[in-house]
Amino acid sequence: MRSIEVPEVDYTDYTNRQLVLVPLAVLALALAIIGGWYLMTGAPANLGLEFTGGVEIRLADDGEGDMQERIDAAFEQEPDSVRAIPADDVVVVTFRADPGGEETGDMASDLEDQAEAGGLTIDAVDQVSASFAADTAQTALFGVAIAFLGMSVLVFALFRTFVPSIAVVASAFSDIIIPIAAMNLLGIEMTLGTVAALLMIIGYSVDSDILLNNSVLRRTGDFYESVSRAMRTGVTMTVTSMAAMIVMAIIATLFGIDLLRDIGIILAIGLCADLMNTYLMNVTLLRWYKFEGVSR
Amino acid sequence: MLDPIKQNWRVLLLVVVIIAASVALFAPQFAPDTAPGEDPDEARQGLTNLQYGLDLAGGTRIRAPLIGYTATGVEFDGDNPSEVAANVAEQLEGVSAREVNAEELDEQGGEVEVTDPDVTEDEFRSAMDASGYAYNDIRRGVTAETREAAESVIRGTINEAGLSGGSVQQVQSITGEWFMLVEVPGEGRQDVIDLLEDRGTVQIDIGYPDEDAEDGLGVEEEVLVQDDFENIGTASRDENDQPYVPVSVINEAPEGEQSPAHRFQDAVVDRGVASDTGGARCTYMEDPVGETNEPCLLLVVDGEVVNAFGMDDGLAESMVGGTWADSGNFRLTTTSFEDAQQVSINLRAGALPAELDIAGEGTSAFISPTQGENFRFYAMITGVFAIFAVAGMVFLRYREPKVALPMIVTALAEVYALLGFAALVGYPIELAVIAGFIAVVGTGVDDLVIIADEVMSEGEVKSRKVFDSRFRRAFWVIGAAAATTIIAMSPLMVLSLGDLSGFAIFTILGVLIGVLITRPAYGDILRRLLTVR
Repeated sequence: MRSIEVPEVDYTDYTNRQLVLVPLAVLALALAIIGGWYLMTGAPANLGLEFTGGVEIRLADDGEGDMQERIDAAFEQEPDSVRAIPADDVVVVTFRADPGGEETGDMASDLEDQAEAGGLTIDAVDQVSASFAADTAQTALFGVAIAFLGMSVLVFALFRTFVPSIAVVASAFSDIIIPIAAMNLLGIEMTLGTVAALLMIIGYSVDSDILLNNSVLRRTGDFYESVSRAMRTGVTMTVTSMAAMIVMAIIATLFGIDLLRDIGIILAIGLCADLMNTYLMNVTLLRWYKFEGVSR
Repeated sequence: MLDPIKQNWRVLLLVVVIIAASVALFAPQFAPDTAPGEDPDEARQGLTNLQYGLDLAGGTRIRAPLIGYTATGVEFDGDNPSEVAANVAEQLEGVSAREVNAEELDEQGGEVEVTDPDVTEDEFRSAMDASGYAYNDIRRGVTAETREAAESVIRGTINEAGLSGGSVQQVQSITGEWFMLVEVPGEGRQDVIDLLEDRGTVQIDIGYPDEDAEDGLGVEEEVLVQDDFENIGTASRDENDQPYVPVSVINEAPEGEQSPAHRFQDAVVDRGVASDTGGARCTYMEDPVGETNEPCLLLVVDGEVVNAFGMDDGLAESMVGGTWADSGNFRLTTTSFEDAQQVSINLRAGALPAELDIAGEGTSAFISPTQGENFRFYAMITGVFAIFAVAGMVFLRYREPKVALPMIVTALAEVYALLGFAALVGYPIELAVIAGFIAVVGTGVDDLVIIADEVMSEGEVKSRKVFDSRFRRAFWVIGAAAATTIIAMSPLMVLSLGDLSGFAIFTILGVLIGVLITRPAYGDILRRLLTVR
């Protein structure tokens, strides 16, 4: 049996314009989705509990009757979402804080009392106040911005030439934007886990970009040969990570570990986007730089 | 003799790290610190010395700010801090002087805070304006001194309540606001909130018949306050099954001042709780209104009267005779044993200098111990499967156990070293940390793929020299990639974003261990396996 080989792409068949069109179109679409989301909902993505405030309660499903009915009977307030965890006898019930409303008070305590009165067993309670959530959202945005800025500065310091550096930065930007748009379409909420994943994407996506740039710029040899060598390694890396993340996302979904699930899904999408951005957009920018940009 | 060591030092270093990690993980010397009276075996959770965070062990976490407003850059105009505090308190209606504090920071002045939760920012601002002291601005929150005090009170409260393993720290949000972060393993959310929500002030007032008062009852407040008590005993029951807390009242004072015990003794006699004819018979709890009632001692906890009592004749006699203050022994009787326990905890731990705003601006989370244990198991399964996925991909790609097997082993060694580090410093393992481990395996294998591909490119590795030059070339990429990951993750490490700092810390540590120790070692291993000798 032969080992799996990374397929070779014959870049000479396509013009720069053709190659760069696909990733740019996808990026434009992603930006449009996020912009549209912002106009429609007032936020660029579906914000999770940590960013809106509210209460999440995990109830043990002891098998005595229909959980949905019992939940409806127990709580005075209608839950915003009720979600059963497949591989664990647990139901997650979410109550959102009223945005812009009065201070919620100790909503969790009331809900805890109601659940107990309704004979439901509580496995976990998580309460986030609306003002704290707003703070968290601001902090998270700031964190992603700083991380991105730091990465950009470092990349420019490493390569010290404009086009290859901006290629890395642009592809990392697109790698972050596309998963956010995908999250909106798939109905995945933005949580602290997804923020961690977005920062992780910065780290992962730059790996293959640096590898490519290094291969083309710092080593002698034919451009296409360098690209295909970098691609063989880079695609292996990305696909391996993707496999780990997809498996993590699936198993964490089964067991209801939201943090791991969110990180897994976002990284898998981000790495997918990275394959496209690195080997279509980045390669094209480098080719233009190598053959036309330098001679100017 | 030294040559083999020199040639293989990278591999040897990895072996040393693995041994060190094993020691940290399994040696009883590195077991978690035990709480007083706790069995060392109980403090260890499972086979290893690893400690688990709340989401994997169960317990309650509360993050909340202290309520209050602080005026910054206040010029004291030569007044001492207590004068400043008194002058500002005077401008606030219905606010006790104890709720206003001034802290001197330099010769010019300092900060003034109000900790009464009913005072609004506007009220405080106009009080500051009316007091005539110049100030810069008013911000939410309390002074650093008050936060320190609150931290130690909360720590005391948790310890006095017998909750082992609890922790308290101060964290600052990006907007500059300070939060108290309290974690109590194994305890329910409501119980912890009950413990912390109230400030735990304990004082003795005297209620006495007063014709001028609206309901015929005058109250002399703060006859005894928290700081006047010492030698606080545990809640007990007397021969009539009445719960009480034995305390003594401080009976020593600096020259020229009256000690709290003497002051109390005088007040008791003045108000007629103790008189020549004996002690008062208190009926306050049955009927708190009326001028005909006899005077009472009121035990007030967090502003509410929890019990009222008179005095037996023997004690009254020693009060009138002025001999009681020599010992100062006193019993705070309560109506229920729970109240007695609460009073005892409050007196021992002290009162919170400001209220925690748990419901309004905080977050609180509770995970039951069973759910925590489940998460521990599920997270482990998730991690194992993720590693299998990586291993599977690597074998499919290389088809050569010589290359792939050391790759998997090296990546696992990184995680093992990280676990050892966590056990060594006692960092609690949380879900976020496990996510960090998985991320480390991901980046680790990426780098190993770079090394393997680079080394094996362009045909056979004929000599050590060829190998070394290719390895160095690969290492430039790895170093650059590691630097970007560290930069991307470092904001998470310092920003207060919940558990995510654990994720960032372990991802960064993993990348460092990888670049400095394990990935070079993989290079050495690969060289031995590949170089044609």
